[in-house]
Amino acid sequence: MKGALAVCWRDVLKFARQPIVMVSTIIGPFLTLVLLGSAFGGAITLAPIAIVRESYGPYSSSLIETLRNEQSCQLGGINCQNSFHLIDVPDMDIAQQMLHAGSVKAIVHIPRELDDSLAAGTKVVLTVTLDNTDPLSTAAIGPEILQASQSVSSGIQTSGISPSNTTIDLEYAYRNVLYIEFMAPGTFVQSIMFVSIIAGGVQLVVDKERGIIEGYLVTPLKKHEIVIGVLLSGVIKSLFSAVALFILAVALTGIRPLSLFPRPDLAGILLTMFTLFLTALGLIGMMTAYAVRSTSADLYRVTCFPINLTLYYTSGAIYPLDGMPPWMKQISVINPETYAVHALRLLMYKGAGLGDIAGDFIFLSAFTMLMVALAIVAFRRGL
Amino acid sequence: MQTFGITKKFGDFTAVDHLDLEVKHEVFGLLGPNGAGKTTLQRMLVTVLSPTEGSAIVAGADIVREADRVRELIGVVTQASTLDIELSALENMNLYGMYYGIPRKQRQERINELLKVVELADRAKIPVSGYSGGMKRRLEIVRALVHEPEVLFLDEPTTGLDPQARAAVLEYIKRIHEEHGITLVITTHYLDEAENLCDRLAIVDHGRIVALGTPADLKREVSGGDIVEADFSALNDNVLKALEKSDSVLKIKRRDGGPFEFTILVKNGAEAVPKIVGLVDSNGGKLRTITLRELTLDDVFLNVTGRSLRE
Repeated sequence: MKGALAVCWRDVLKFARQPIVMVSTIIGPFLTLVLLGSAFGGAITLAPIAIVRESYGPYSSSLIETLRNEQSCQLGGINCQNSFHLIDVPDMDIAQQMLHAGSVKAIVHIPRELDDSLAAGTKVVLTVTLDNTDPLSTAAIGPEILQASQSVSSGIQTSGISPSNTTIDLEYAYRNVLYIEFMAPGTFVQSIMFVSIIAGGVQLVVDKERGIIEGYLVTPLKKHEIVIGVLLSGVIKSLFSAVALFILAVALTGIRPLSLFPRPDLAGILLTMFTLFLTALGLIGMMTAYAVRSTSADLYRVTCFPINLTLYYTSGAIYPLDGMPPWMKQISVINPETYAVHALRLLMYKGAGLGDIAGDFIFLSAFTMLMVALAIVAFRRGL
Repeated sequence: MQTFGITKKFGDFTAVDHLDLEVKHEVFGLLGPNGAGKTTLQRMLVTVLSPTEGSAIVAGADIVREADRVRELIGVVTQASTLDIELSALENMNLYGMYYGIPRKQRQERINELLKVVELADRAKIPVSGYSGGMKRRLEIVRALVHEPEVLFLDEPTTGLDPQARAAVLEYIKRIHEEHGITLVITTHYLDEAENLCDRLAIVDHGRIVALGTPADLKREVSGGDIVEADFSALNDNVLKALEKSDSVLKIKRRDGGPFEFTILVKNGAEAVPKIVGLVDSNGGKLRTITLRELTLDDVFLNVTGRSLRE
């Protein structure tokens, strides 16, 4: 048994001498608790909803007023916040474009005849269009809009108008997307991130530690050639892994992206590939810029773990951004994974075109250029 | 190749100290114990470290201002292996050729030729991880020749090899110099290697050159003499005093072995041995063994630094 004590003592001593390793065992689970807990625990708040108002009578005014004040009190009345954030949109065409691009989660259409019909006691339909590619938001928003409208209707009923004359029509804009499908784009981005961490610039750090880098440095290879070569190999490796995962997911989990079902759509496939490519280059650029100045491969690996978790949880990959507390939303705004997940989701479930995801591409391109430049500048062509 | 007061400091530690050196078209050796600054000097010459002070010209180009040009003109075999062991010899060589931008056809011809020289042609397609230490070293040496460099730097080319593999590697290095006629700069702490291989040598210690010349010159510099190793079974102070006073004895030093073992530097070995024997006898000492041998570089090193290379 004395031997066991010696072995144990050795391991404890070594653990104590590596505070970074010790900290990483704590920080990963802690980040998961804070980020995941804050995301899933928060109700959907301030979800952007387009309101297309074509009628300006008392009924529609009170409906809008009620919607504006609808509160989400899922945590037993504590943390009550407005569920929606109404955006006035002049017509349905624009509203639909916004829904398509993901900038609003639902459209409430108040038709021109609404107030007149209600006053005259004739039948009228109020249409609510929901973005059901986001199942969590839809599940929260749909019932709350219904509730708000009904409370307004019942108010009208007491003043003498029959509620049977208003029908609320909940319309789904797309095919119902399952939660596993909602989660899939984030998973593809995650696989790219894994490759970035283990196969990107870290190779340079490992090579430096093993003394192999000297073999590169004595050749006439230019600094940018070395970095760009490393980035490109990283892109190839991560695209391989993301595409393999994509195929596996489609084949085994029943995920049905519009670019492949009901029939393959070349434009959709190309845009999806391009999004993955841009994401890969950006993330690998980022991790390479970080790695080339890292002096220890161990330290690099250990710190990558929390970076990866933070980016994944704040990207909206597993929970809609609308459900996140403000500080998490702020991280998500500068998080490249947010834009990648958004673009992929639009391409996969809304059949989006280049115009719908141009904003994501602009952010990702700018981010990528910055990171590649940073990686090249940070790389030291020497020992 | 020429250095001008080249200096490298790491914090307070001066690894290479205002070193001036000129290397012509030859096999040049940098000899010194571990930590003498040989590797640091070579790393500056091959452009992976920049000098703190001073400069150097390698193959006609400045190592700082024209580092790219230098890299094209030199070949380097580093102390630690930089082979990609997952890849075959052919792939390793081919990648290197690509780094230097050598056209495909020329690359292939040259690689095949070089692999034949070091007798690796029949194993060129298996992963390098399956190679012995000697084979790996041979491959690294020819890999550094793919682009026909003007100067080849070899840092401790035989460290970690068994004697047989060492001999083979040295044989190839000699042949490469003879056949390709390139300048070789070799750092080593092996005396026999320096003595057999190098046209000229610099003995480096504490970042400075303490002796410079052909192996023969260096030995002559010490005295032009020989070494007598004398082990005593009985010894007293009178014996030592008598030996020190003798005309043929230049220097007498206790060897690391023990109190009765001495290394004696003498003018003329053949004449000195009987004299020493006579002096020991007449002063009441007793010799166990006495050996006459030629001067080695270790003796030179001992003479200039006061320490043995082997320590």
